[in-house]
Amino acid sequence: MQKIFNLACGSFYALGAYVGVSAVGWYVGAGGPPALFIVPLAVAGLAVGAVGVVVERGLLRFVYDRDETFQLLMTFAIVLMMEDAIRLTWGTAPRSTAGLYLAYGQIGVLGATAPVYNLIVIAASLAIALAIGWLLTRTAFGRIIRATADNRDMAEALGVDMRRVYAKVFTLGTALGTLGGALVIPATAAMSEMGIELIVEAFAVVVIGGLG
Amino acid sequence: MTRLSPATPDPLRAQAPRDHDTSRRQFLKLLSAGAGAATATRLDAPFASAQATGPVKLGVLTIRAGVAAPVGAAGLRATEWWAERLNKGGGILGRQVQLVVEEESNPKDTVERYRKLVLQDKVEVVLGGISTGVTLALGPVAEDLGTPWLSWDGTTQKGVEETMPNPKWTFKSVDNEVEAIVAGILTPKYFKGIKTVAGIGNDYSYGHDCWESYQVVLKRYIPDVKFVLELFPKLGVTDFSSHIAAIQQSKADLLMCSFWSGDATIIMKQAAAVGLFKTMKGVFTTAGGVHDSLKKEFTPEGLLLGYNTMYFDDPKASPLLKQFVHEYKARYNEYPPYECDHAFFNAESYKVAVEKAAGAGKKWPDKAQVVKALEGLEIESLSDDFVTISPIEIVSTKQAMKPAGSKLFDWINGWKV
Repeated sequence: MQKIFNLACGSFYALGAYVGVSAVGWYVGAGGPPALFIVPLAVAGLAVGAVGVVVERGLLRFVYDRDETFQLLMTFAIVLMMEDAIRLTWGTAPRSTAGLYLAYGQIGVLGATAPVYNLIVIAASLAIALAIGWLLTRTAFGRIIRATADNRDMAEALGVDMRRVYAKVFTLGTALGTLGGALVIPATAAMSEMGIELIVEAFAVVVIGGLG
Repeated sequence: MTRLSPATPDPLRAQAPRDHDTSRRQFLKLLSAGAGAATATRLDAPFASAQATGPVKLGVLTIRAGVAAPVGAAGLRATEWWAERLNKGGGILGRQVQLVVEEESNPKDTVERYRKLVLQDKVEVVLGGISTGVTLALGPVAEDLGTPWLSWDGTTQKGVEETMPNPKWTFKSVDNEVEAIVAGILTPKYFKGIKTVAGIGNDYSYGHDCWESYQVVLKRYIPDVKFVLELFPKLGVTDFSSHIAAIQQSKADLLMCSFWSGDATIIMKQAAAVGLFKTMKGVFTTAGGVHDSLKKEFTPEGLLLGYNTMYFDDPKASPLLKQFVHEYKARYNEYPPYECDHAFFNAESYKVAVEKAAGAGKKWPDKAQVVKALEGLEIESLSDDFVTISPIEIVSTKQAMKPAGSKLFDWINGWKV
């Protein structure tokens, strides 16, 4: 909708991962039951999505009407800054949630063994996809988003406050990224360059799916 | 990417002559003569080796970012510990040591920083260098600049044999994948009846060389062993579920894994989640510092694990190692990773070589005398080599590292087993 190619999506993903690790660490340290660790993980992942408002209002809005190269440079700068900020805050060593990944055990599916946590993450992504679908097709906000994506000038002429819509949509996108980062972390470990990995894949997605 | 690289002035590039026949060493001489004549201050600053007083500058190259950053930090910390301890005791021949630290990143930038250390900072020696790719690029430069370089790592054996047949200024603390070789020696000792082996390692020289060395060694002990699967995921990959599924399907008796950074812990965790090691034995060389991230929930029992005596409070450790492990743990709240051992060994070797070259007259030696003294030197290092835990099995350097100048695989194939 914003027609912005946001390289920083990978950084939000990494940020969500690190904040998720910290939240779980704090939760376990405070004596929370290990079986419920996914709650603080998901909450932290969603909450840190608020950084999206800051980035959108503070930086991105200045490059909407500029050439794409400005947008690329701006978001790439955010990637570099976030990577260093992560390194400064959490250090360079990989961070993980230790053995919590195995807290839910494993299950046999068609002769193969699958960790239950993976199934929870798959279920969560399905739920998120359904929720986004519902948001876009069934709510007034969703209709505004689709109208703006279709014809921004017309939507604005009809009284849509573009600044608010942009800020909301960008923050929603950021929160999805940070939540994704947080949810993936129990199965692996957070590393400062994990965002860069994702950007390459995101690039392929944009080439195939187009900016929207 | 060239980001974050400081704009290091490069006298060679800035004033390089068009005559490509001039060798770099000749050119350096020309350059220093020219610079001396051009400015009066330069005349007062001849090669640092001629100054026998004041602090002695030692260059340190270390990785600061990425998966190898903890390794780089460990090497630097050990070098700092060495320097502090040395300075308290009076330095080298009465001169305090001063570390000039530069970042090791990609080969191109690192070569430039290496030049800066030697030409601009005028260090007496360069310590450090971890990545094989980077150290291969540094080797010829170090030889050209004529300053001793003591590399911490750069463990691949093949490249060094090919590109630097006769190094004079370049030294390494390790010459081949010691951990893969020891893993090959210990596999038949601890696991009986291994017939099929699967291997996984990172897709770069270290991962491939470890796997190759391990196979050559294991074949010496179990001639009919079959290597049924080899997987080389890219360095930095954090999802191994498809690799683990392939390993499971291979139904190998044993998995050999040469991961050394965060990925060693990640694959162990993901393997535990599908019960891989319930049916398969495992050998993890874990050359890096993963000892603080292994947790008992996912570390399988009966695993052959490459370790180092500095990773825990070894009751039989030397007084030097005990002091180091104790102080490191107190300061950084973790046990020291292996790179500390290499870094300490290199720095200490330099000190001993300088003292040896100085002889009874205690006159500060020049760089050529130092490299001469370095050859064949034996010093007390921090830790024992490759060990396993419970039972602790210690394998000495002589068993696992090829003699200088020999070909690795010829040496292994010549063993009496």
